Amino acid sequence: MPYALLACFWWGLFGFLAKIGSNQVNAADMQILFAGGTAPLAAFLLLRRTGLRADHRGRFIGIVIGIAAGLGGIAYFVAMAGGKASLVGPVTSLFPLVTVVLATLVLKERLNRFQTAGIVLALISAVLLAM
Amino acid sequence: MNWVAASIIVIVLWGVVGLFQKMGANHSSANSLLVWTTAGYIVLLPFLYSYSHLLALPGRSILLGLITGLTNALGAWCLYAAMEKGAAASVVVPLTALNPLLTVILAVLFLGERLTLIQIAGIVLAVIAAVLLSCESETPVLEPQVN
Repeated sequence: MPYALLACFWWGLFGFLAKIGSNQVNAADMQILFAGGTAPLAAFLLLRRTGLRADHRGRFIGIVIGIAAGLGGIAYFVAMAGGKASLVGPVTSLFPLVTVVLATLVLKERLNRFQTAGIVLALISAVLLAM
Repeated sequence: MNWVAASIIVIVLWGVVGLFQKMGANHSSANSLLVWTTAGYIVLLPFLYSYSHLLALPGRSILLGLITGLTNALGAWCLYAAMEKGAAASVVVPLTALNPLLTVILAVLFLGERLTLIQIAGIVLAVIAAVLLSCESETPVLEPQVN
């Protein structure tokens, strides 16, 4: 549980720093620096060499994730530069909406009642925040 | 581009990332996925370079951007550490979805951002929605194809 709260802390801080950074640095440079800031952890994991298991498909999916997440990151820094962090942070955290919908379509996953409620609340919150 | 349009692009792209993470789960360990994700960031660098003014930036801004990336990586690291310690993903992931609350608090306290009552209601609903959306059903674990 402490680790989960620590993850909350780092990601919450990330949104705040992303706002301050995006006010002074363009989105492309923010993404370049972001990648640079992520690299030490990847390097550490590579050097430690434990828990690194991936097949060809896993590696390919990982790279595709990096490209999609990186493009999303550019849009995130654009949003942060143009809007309030207190709105962009919560709004962009609604991305699991797209994940659960895609998972029902592509992976034939079933929505549980929490996720169904989440979709409804997400749509209501989007309307409120766009007002 | 206004922040709403940019945020919609973020939601779609990171939503697709979530789908790929599900698809990759049986083909890669969490650590390995993080390494290859970083490789994907590197693939984007040549494209980004043409829009870059990196060399003209003050050192302070460069440091800030790097620390921003580091905080995000540390968040991922803590999430994996929580699961390595045996915490269930179905509990940990919804809990981490609370993270925008800290962003809101810091932005209001230190950046002087003001919110209307309707926006506060929207923020509260968005955070609850993100927590609920992360509540995965416990599906039977598939036999890992890599080991």
